[in-house]
Amino acid sequence: MDILVVLEDNRGSLHRMSKEAIAGAQKMGGSISALAIGVNADAMAGELSGVDLTEVITINHDLVSSYNADGYSEVVKQVIESESPQTIVIGHSYQTRDFMPRVSAKLDIPFIPDIISMDDGIVKQVLNAKLNALVTTSADQVILSFQSATFSEEAMVTGSCLTRSIEVNLDSSIVRSEAEDPFQEDAGDVDLESAELIVSIGRGIEKEENISMAFDLAKVLGAEVSASRPVVDSGWVESFRQVGSSGQTVAPKLYFSLGISGAIQHVVGIKGSKNILAINKDPDAPIFEIADYAVVGDLLDIIPKLIEALQTEKDL
Amino acid sequence: MKIAVLVKQVPGSETALPILGNHNWIDEEQVSFVMNPPDNFAIEEALLIKERTGDGEVVIVSMGPVRVQKVIREGLAKGADRGIHLEEDGQIQTDPLSIAKSISSILMDENFDLVLTGLQSDDTGMGQTGVLIGEMLGMSTGTLAMETDVQDNAIRVKRELESGWFQWVKLPLPASISIQSGLNTPRYPSLRGIMGAKKKEIKVVSPSDHQTDAISQSIDKVFVPQTSKQTEMIEGNADSAVTRIIEILKSELKVL
Amino acid sequence: MIEREVLELDVLFVGAGPASLAGAVHLQRLLRESGQDASVGVLEKAGEVGAHSLSGAIVDPRALRELFPDKNDQDFPFEAEVSEEHLYYLTETRKIPFPFIPPSMNHHGCYVASLGKLTRWLGEACEKDGVDIFCGFAGTELLYDGDQVIGVRTGDRGIDKKGVQKQHFEPGADIHAKVVVLGEGTRGSLTKILLQRHNLMDERNPQVWAVGVKELWQMPAGIVQPGYVAHTMGFPLGHDIFGGAFLYGMKNDIWNLGLVVGLDYKNPGVDSHHELQNLKTHPWIRSLIEGGKMVAYGAKSLPEGGWYSIPKLSISGAMLIGDSAGFMNGQRLKGIHLAMKSGMLAAETISKALAENNFTESKLGDYEDRMKSSWIRDELWKVRNFHQGFDHGLFGGLTNAGIGLLTGGRGWGFKNRLTSEAGHLQLEKGLKKDRYKDLKFDGTYLFDKVTDVYHSATAHEEDQVPHLHVNEPDICITKCAEEYDNPCKNFCPANVFEMVPDGENQRLQINFSNCVHCKTCDIMDPYQIIDWVPPEGGDGPTWINL
Repeated sequence: MDILVVLEDNRGSLHRMSKEAIAGAQKMGGSISALAIGVNADAMAGELSGVDLTEVITINHDLVSSYNADGYSEVVKQVIESESPQTIVIGHSYQTRDFMPRVSAKLDIPFIPDIISMDDGIVKQVLNAKLNALVTTSADQVILSFQSATFSEEAMVTGSCLTRSIEVNLDSSIVRSEAEDPFQEDAGDVDLESAELIVSIGRGIEKEENISMAFDLAKVLGAEVSASRPVVDSGWVESFRQVGSSGQTVAPKLYFSLGISGAIQHVVGIKGSKNILAINKDPDAPIFEIADYAVVGDLLDIIPKLIEALQTEKDL
Repeated sequence: MKIAVLVKQVPGSETALPILGNHNWIDEEQVSFVMNPPDNFAIEEALLIKERTGDGEVVIVSMGPVRVQKVIREGLAKGADRGIHLEEDGQIQTDPLSIAKSISSILMDENFDLVLTGLQSDDTGMGQTGVLIGEMLGMSTGTLAMETDVQDNAIRVKRELESGWFQWVKLPLPASISIQSGLNTPRYPSLRGIMGAKKKEIKVVSPSDHQTDAISQSIDKVFVPQTSKQTEMIEGNADSAVTRIIEILKSELKVL
Repeated sequence: MIEREVLELDVLFVGAGPASLAGAVHLQRLLRESGQDASVGVLEKAGEVGAHSLSGAIVDPRALRELFPDKNDQDFPFEAEVSEEHLYYLTETRKIPFPFIPPSMNHHGCYVASLGKLTRWLGEACEKDGVDIFCGFAGTELLYDGDQVIGVRTGDRGIDKKGVQKQHFEPGADIHAKVVVLGEGTRGSLTKILLQRHNLMDERNPQVWAVGVKELWQMPAGIVQPGYVAHTMGFPLGHDIFGGAFLYGMKNDIWNLGLVVGLDYKNPGVDSHHELQNLKTHPWIRSLIEGGKMVAYGAKSLPEGGWYSIPKLSISGAMLIGDSAGFMNGQRLKGIHLAMKSGMLAAETISKALAENNFTESKLGDYEDRMKSSWIRDELWKVRNFHQGFDHGLFGGLTNAGIGLLTGGRGWGFKNRLTSEAGHLQLEKGLKKDRYKDLKFDGTYLFDKVTDVYHSATAHEEDQVPHLHVNEPDICITKCAEEYDNPCKNFCPANVFEMVPDGENQRLQINFSNCVHCKTCDIMDPYQIIDWVPPEGGDGPTWINL
């Protein structure tokens, strides 16, 4: 096979990044098989029945019914050995970081992680995303992981595929870890770094009374709230919401900035955003140079109207 | 308890990054270097574990040119016991498998109970070295530890999962663990620590004693990310702006 | 009671600049030669040696040659020997070469250098010599036993912006030393305290200052000639503001472009950063940086007062060296060699003091005697009235300087000593003249202050009490706003001070995180209510080759 896509189980269903990885593999071209491991392997295969793949290989062995690094890396190693894919592709999730390097070491296959583009060679970010790097390998086989949103799950080509279940050889001594059940913890501080939608407040909000407008907008959009430095310095929002060179770095799907001028100290914290929608009164505001959508207008006028319109959309 | 902490010296985040003439890396002569920030948490965790268990040795290990001895000394100044410097000449190695093979070959004989690393390096950001070494040395592995709990011949780590989920995993020793940033507060070195660091041993391993020839991946070129940004200007009154925004959110960005 | 670490040293240099480092290297040699054993340490507030060093610079190799007699000039970390030099008078559009370069402004035989690079190199020499350099530790207090200085206390770490101890609070340490040598650089904070407490400026001219702001420009290959030197006067400062520009060719195709602005101007609206941007609108300068990229920015004040502004140099247990003591030759625009020499002379005194275990004022006074019979004196005496002549504007100053060349430095040809007033007192109340109405920042060649600050690579622990202490903040929103329209927002080259709306009124916002440690605010505020103290150790710029 040309490409083996290793899937991830996200509490019973296919992880979004696995679908993105499939879309990526399809773009690369060739014969593609997907690998589903664990107690939910069949369910994951089921989700892919309408996708254009050669097959989904399912493996459900007691020792890998739920994730563990020892078991998963051994299973993937065995599949690679028996199926000989030229390329192994996976989403760059926390789980991938946990076990894929083990596979790389077991088989001496290079693992190129966190890729942001395959258009013109393999590109990943280096030096805190200040630069991009073109990575090459002369190895016969390679493992690639794609950064979130490098490919889009909507781009998965439809079609059909078969499911094939295989047996693996696993000795109980292989799995040395004892895992407890995963649990959720109150995030406490908002995790802006992994937020998909962010509404961000700048000095253009003018007064503390207007801050609630931004939070209302965020609520109706299901977004997190961040702010530029001057807003935090004025004490209008908590400091953990600060985005920029001395705050957090974010890379949401949408960064919706309100009254932010776009000083370089702020912009370095948002460069990874997939889409930037900026509202600012000043047509020369530097933020417009990096925005995808630039709204020149008074945010105090626009936002209440936008919230109302969004509410209406929601009710529809 | 014998703990190795793998640290890396990386370009400081505040510096401009001039690219070499042949474009294959940055011009290291013109940048300032610092301890890889995530590694500070790994060093601190190692020192805390040593303090909690009451005995043990913390060894700082780093690979790179002579300048990396500075970050090894920083670790020593904070309280680590000794250092190991795998010397590199010429340009730094960027292939994780080669790096891991080099380091494993040197760590092998020392029989460490724990190998700790930061979550990834701020230069190449491959995020694999600790796990690769764990596999090569037959250790159990864990990543993104938000908390550690050393027990008898084992270590429990609280792995960070995505979206606010966590999981405790118990791993037998020896184990290689990557440490998530923010789990502790790295200490400052004391004046005495700085003075004492000069007297602690740093074993230097010459390139021929650790370098592997096989390179499995390499960085051919680095370049400034191009933003082919087309900015759509939305003008007009508030109402028309709102209409357009809704359309963008709904049909183009599909976030509604 | 806070428990502090106590360290005993014999000699402590405060500030790892050229003065202290040269002093430490020289001291170690003298100790070895005399068979003495002493512990020598250097305290440095930056996280790394050289990170807070900024100068032009053109270095007179004299002191380095004395310090390292076994080395050649090629061994020193210079960019290049001065290969060509120019002196221009600029108008808004033209550049007029001076008919000849006065010998004192002649840089022949000197070297273009980066002070950061030089300091790092000296730091390495020190460490090889067994000197402990403690980076990331700021000296915040002098320790006394009666009137004798017995050491330095370093700053506490881990205190939040409200002054409350954080979880990882660490009290500063007390370093006891037989001699504390203050080499803090320009407008040193411990130096300021020492000068006041012991009246060390009695009978001297008040120090007068200037601020230097600079940018490094990365040019395409082959454009910059290392060793190229040009100085200018005239545009953009005009005739009423002391100062001028410098342009030096560095290695790696870097243009080193800067402007020195005297901090004794009348117009409270003067903004050295904006003046630098204006300089770049000159067609000649603009053509030089065409196609280039600005890669670094920084600023630092300079002591311009010269000979008569040098304080008494020592008291029991403490000495002043380098810029902290005002050793700068304003006319030659060189101070690094003087700083190094002063450190070396201090070392000679200290070596003797250690041998006799005597660190009293009279014993340490030997340093001042040495200084007065050294080439520091020879050099500074000749230009002792240089800056003061400029109180009469550019042409007055040049005339005075010219005459001075013929009369061995006498002011206006006949006066042995010209007096001067402190610069901040020259600000004229109510004077409003906007020098920057036509200045537009294009983001490619001309930058707003906030963008330039970003390129100064400065960072501070955010959650700490601001290190710029404004002792009477009410004055800011009342008297100062009325009389001077808050010049702090203009004279700070790093946008630290801003007047922001506060309901109906205004309030002073201190963006201390932008601070580049130039000390201009401490110098220039007309009411002298700003005290610059060191922030948490390790904070500040991370300059590499400035």
